[in-house]
Amino acid sequence: MTERLKEVDVVIIGVGMVGSIVGKELAAAGYKVVGLERGQARYTAPDFQGPAIHDELRFDIRKALMQDNTREPVTFRNHGSERALPIRRWESFLPGTGLGGSMVHWNGQTYRFQANDFELATRTRQRYGKDFLDPNLTIQDWGVTYDELEPHFDRFEYLLGTSGKAGNIKGKIQPGGDPHESPRSRDYPTPPMKEHFQGAMFRKAAASLGYHPFPQPSSNLSQPYTNPEGVKLNACVFCGFCERYACEHYAKAVPQTIILPVLLANPNFELRTGCQVQRINLDSTKKKATGVTYIDAAGREFEQPASLVITASFALNNVRMLLLSGVGKPYDPNTGKGVVGRNYAYQTMSSVSAFFDENVIINPFMASGASGTLINDFAGDNFDHSGLGFIGGSFIGAVNTNGRPIQYHPVPPDTPPWGKAWKQAVVKHYNHTVQFSCHGSSIAQRQNYLDLDPTYRDAWGQPLLRMTFDFPENDLKMAAYVTAKAVEIGKAMGAKQVAGSPRKGPYTTQQYQTTHNTGGTVMGNDPSTSVVNRYLQSWDVPNVFVIGASNYPQNASWNPTGTLGALTYWAVEALKNKYLKNPGRLVSA
Amino acid sequence: MSVSQVLRGCLLLGIIPLLMAVKPGTEKPPPAVAAKLCQSCHGAHGEGMPAAGIPRLAGQSADYLDKQLRDYAGGSRENAIMHQWAIQLKDAQRAEVAAYYASLAADAAAPATSAGNASDAMLVARGHQLAHQGDEARRVQACDNCHGPDGNGAPRTAPYIAGQSAQYLTASLKAWKEGTRKNDDGQQMRSVVDRLNDADIGAIAAYFSSLAASPNSGSR
Repeated sequence: MTERLKEVDVVIIGVGMVGSIVGKELAAAGYKVVGLERGQARYTAPDFQGPAIHDELRFDIRKALMQDNTREPVTFRNHGSERALPIRRWESFLPGTGLGGSMVHWNGQTYRFQANDFELATRTRQRYGKDFLDPNLTIQDWGVTYDELEPHFDRFEYLLGTSGKAGNIKGKIQPGGDPHESPRSRDYPTPPMKEHFQGAMFRKAAASLGYHPFPQPSSNLSQPYTNPEGVKLNACVFCGFCERYACEHYAKAVPQTIILPVLLANPNFELRTGCQVQRINLDSTKKKATGVTYIDAAGREFEQPASLVITASFALNNVRMLLLSGVGKPYDPNTGKGVVGRNYAYQTMSSVSAFFDENVIINPFMASGASGTLINDFAGDNFDHSGLGFIGGSFIGAVNTNGRPIQYHPVPPDTPPWGKAWKQAVVKHYNHTVQFSCHGSSIAQRQNYLDLDPTYRDAWGQPLLRMTFDFPENDLKMAAYVTAKAVEIGKAMGAKQVAGSPRKGPYTTQQYQTTHNTGGTVMGNDPSTSVVNRYLQSWDVPNVFVIGASNYPQNASWNPTGTLGALTYWAVEALKNKYLKNPGRLVSA
Repeated sequence: MSVSQVLRGCLLLGIIPLLMAVKPGTEKPPPAVAAKLCQSCHGAHGEGMPAAGIPRLAGQSADYLDKQLRDYAGGSRENAIMHQWAIQLKDAQRAEVAAYYASLAADAAAPATSAGNASDAMLVARGHQLAHQGDEARRVQACDNCHGPDGNGAPRTAPYIAGQSAQYLTASLKAWKEGTRKNDDGQQMRSVVDRLNDADIGAIAAYFSSLAASPNSGSR
């Protein structure tokens, strides 16, 4: 028996970063907003407090903050010819759950994608010719430009208090910052984090090779900060427990520390936790949403009618919600037709370990989630790809985030994987190794997609999301190229041994890479290749907006959160200034 | 029971650090400068003078003590009396004094004597909450995050606060609030204390003064 609730103006599916920002803006504008969160309510005090929050076994190994995959896993296969199986233990990527969403357990690495990224298809053809690209790749423009997003990047960074050093303010290159970045209107709200020793080593070596090192932009803050919402954050203490953990110090920008206090104080907003949304309900025309149906923690089913539905879940769950609800045509890799689930992309991560003599003391535990030093000389299209046979790139950096005892034990590649020799190697190298990340872009290709699994269902009886993914050849070539560059930097640092591990296929879900799952509800200007228009409004059901990294047509060389923040404010402005004043299509199909 | 069995038992109980600290009556004689400048207020065994708000130093982190002396001299921790002693110390003397007090066993010091406040169960309960859980309404994190479980310190930088007198703890917290103490990296203490009111400060002082001092490896 479904209980029908009183209609509201807006229902938001997922109260994470996107849901909190959108909810705050629309509630402040006078709309009645209900936020449905499947996980629990949780706050810095007492839920994130030490020493319990530093329990590496609970949070790192057993993934206490993640989506419950005993109830709601994702199934996976590399190729369409295989049978997908449920991922019973998160390793490769870590979707979060609970109030504040996946942002609660992020590292705080806060980048902007570059102008080139938003017009990737057009600019690649312009620079390299129309035949440069493998026709199997389905890259495309975003339908929005960097210049349009710049004010929203700025607003997002000032909401978070991001600590960094500008490299380009209104076209003027700034010493010490990233000269490759697209122009920003002003500097970061707070100065960069303190540089750790390995960052300093990397900076000197990279500069000696003619590259342009700069401090990693961090939303673990370098100093106390009060954001434009009036919410105060503290300075980071470099405890080295950011990613996979929540911050006990109010020092990491997450919904709880940047916007939830304002949102939850607004009587126009109602938070309901423990609510598992089953579907977006459509009327008989299938062109209008009437609200959502959800099941609460006690197993009761409710219908929440609403004039406007916003899906603001983790990227993968946004895709699944549309597929479960029949919003948009599912993608078919055989015909290339359909859009929902199309252009699933990821991140192509490679690593390099530089091993030093025992008189070089690294102290890897003195770190924060984003206190490294990096270069963008081989990221995006910042270098000439002519003759290389691939597009895309990678930032390269000494961006180690921790020296936690269970997970952090760098050893040379010829070390046995267990036993006495392994233990001796761990002791020998723990404090004398610098690890670099090569954080590579991910290109969409025709065979990589998301759909509903035909076999496996969740605890509520709904089909699971099925992921079909392997690394495109383009990205493996890119990984080999940038990893070789990183090895050269390690040698320039004076390491006695440098081991490069360029990403190799096939993709496996059993090794941590990143939680940067993108695509599946792609944005764009062409309804035949996108799910939402440039304002993130569904082409098919105009009173549904979809906001998440699921909007990315392909993934760029940086962590996606900064760009998602900009897209969120971009969509919020369209909602407030256009859609809600005159509901209907914002772009004619 | 053999010596090795005793030692094994101690390891299991985690009390090796206590055994390693110097027992009363077996301490090395204090450095001359400590005998001259420190002992008259901080006591012959570093036990402090609770009623006067003078902190105990026994078993406190040497790095922490050394930094405080530098900051008293430099003015980022304001205290007229400590300033006049601290500016007299050369680097080596300061390090020697800090190492000496770090080496003393905390149990050489007398128990905290703040029974007046500690007997107030409500106050102590509020202090317990702030110490272990923090308070979302105030947006303050738990003291334990930095000062260690039960306020026993997290050397090298975060001092033990359990077993200090309520008078000292109150004065110190108020010094952060009033800006006469500003020697915290990242403004960590000022950020927290800025959000506490006088009642919270009293509660924290009552709670930690009700505990016995049992510092974690203070000589580090």
